[in-house]
Amino acid sequence: MQSSIPRPTGRSVSGQSAATEVSTPAVRTVGLAKSYRHPWTGKVVTGLEALDLEVVRGEVMGYLGPNGAGKTTTLKLLTGLLKPTRGEAWLLGESITQVASRRRLGFLPEQPYFYEYLNALEYLEMAGQLSGLGAHDAHGRAQRWLGRVGLGERPGLILRKYSKGMLQRLGLAAALLHEPDLLILDEPMSGLDPFGRRDVRDLILEQRERGTTVLFSSHILPDVEVLCDRVAIILNGRLSRVATVGDLVRGSRQQVEIRCTGVRPLEIVPELRDVVRRHDHPNETDFLLDDDTRLDETLAWLLRHGAQIRAVTPQRATLEELFLATAGGTVAEPSHQERKSA
Amino acid sequence: MTVALIARNTFREATRDRVLAGVVIAGVLLILATQPLSPLALGEGQRLTIDLGLTGISFFGLLIVLLVGTSLVAKEIERRTIFNLLSRPISRPAYLVGKWLGLSGALWVVAGVLGLALWLLLVARGLASHGPAVLEAAYLAGLELTVVTALAVLFSALSTPVLSALYTLGFYCVGQWSWDLREFAHHFPAALGSTLAVVADVVPNLPIFNMRALAAHGEVTTLFHLGLATVYAVVYSGCVLGLAAAAFESRDFK
Repeated sequence: MQSSIPRPTGRSVSGQSAATEVSTPAVRTVGLAKSYRHPWTGKVVTGLEALDLEVVRGEVMGYLGPNGAGKTTTLKLLTGLLKPTRGEAWLLGESITQVASRRRLGFLPEQPYFYEYLNALEYLEMAGQLSGLGAHDAHGRAQRWLGRVGLGERPGLILRKYSKGMLQRLGLAAALLHEPDLLILDEPMSGLDPFGRRDVRDLILEQRERGTTVLFSSHILPDVEVLCDRVAIILNGRLSRVATVGDLVRGSRQQVEIRCTGVRPLEIVPELRDVVRRHDHPNETDFLLDDDTRLDETLAWLLRHGAQIRAVTPQRATLEELFLATAGGTVAEPSHQERKSA
Repeated sequence: MTVALIARNTFREATRDRVLAGVVIAGVLLILATQPLSPLALGEGQRLTIDLGLTGISFFGLLIVLLVGTSLVAKEIERRTIFNLLSRPISRPAYLVGKWLGLSGALWVVAGVLGLALWLLLVARGLASHGPAVLEAAYLAGLELTVVTALAVLFSALSTPVLSALYTLGFYCVGQWSWDLREFAHHFPAALGSTLAVVADVVPNLPIFNMRALAAHGEVTTLFHLGLATVYAVVYSGCVLGLAAAAFESRDFK
């Protein structure tokens, strides 16, 4: 991507209205629910159950959940593509039943599709104008954003000839072109190579810098961990947890890894067997403690038996492990092998 | 503004589609083909040219409605391009009206091009005086296509492309016989007769747009007829689009 970043023009809010705007959540849902009735069998399938969620202005919230959990359903309800069965929701203070709620919204659907007969410039111009920009302004911004997302070299190339990654970048440009106050992205990293993922990460961070609220779903949890202020985890259509990434990670058990050499014949003593696990490698042995409460005792035992301590490393559970634990109903526990390979 | 943008995009979609170019070429060829056939018409060559040329405008216009119009909205839903539009500040009725206007615009261009080809042929044959009649007939054919496009948008918003093509074609065929249907209604038992009368009222009154027989003899119609046909086309299309908007408003895009 090139560095010609369109800069924000600033937002004109003043006095009481500004205070009201700031105090209003960017996204608020109350009992938002969606169910589908099969037209022939009459069987009802629940997509989302009574979602109560608030996204504060200016924050980046990750919306996590396994496939079919209700992430896309939620995002489509918020953007007006689905009609709620029950409940209400507001975007930047406007009810989602109103067209006006989408005026300051930028949305990137999962695997976006575009008009194949248009070229990128035409598409962005149209997208900008549909979001309220004037024709001249939309043209200028479309050109700048094409350059910004690395598609500026051939603006006349019709979209039929674009790769999946190029379409994803174009979708992001279309979502950001009109400088929205709220950005909703459904799997924005999907289909991107590592460079594309990095670029999207940078774009989201840039949006956070300029005060844009971002709500995005993703399966790529390391990215979520880097980008998000808070995460909401949804399971089987129900909101399971909302917390800051820091709280989630701090709340998990903190394991400790001790890397030693010279301990090959050493057996773990019975009083430590419940809390210490041993992993032998060609040149060293690792001992993994469930937490640090018996760290001193373990170190003393190892030193007593002539082990040479190479490193003592606290092992923080990653968001991915915490997510898997929440989704799977198991205790979060870092994988030793994954740690080693990382 | 929003309606105009969607209309422009739909117009662009239709005019960049090879179907439209193919249909226009076929229409022009049909008009030209009337020349070698004229001697076989036993002195009615002029009538044959005008009648076949105007029929060509209606037929090829209908073909475009069936090939492009009936998948106008359904294709957007299927290909999910509609997500990019309706997640912006666009009302669903505005979206449908924009689609209708865009395709109608493309059909007016087709009617105009074929009408012009027919008129040039008549001028070449020394029948320039038939120009006004051909112009009026082409105008009415354009109105007819506008009404049929509204039906195509309605069915496309609610059904699959194949089904909406069948429904649109059904309404078009029954609409062509709506006067006969109303006439038949008097000759049937009361229950069946009133059913036929209702059907005749619901389907578009397409004979109002047909002045091919008059034009074939170089005769123009009245301004009242043209005005009435215009008002009817606007009102009928408005009702159909209103119905489409009401049904489309609650639709989910999964």
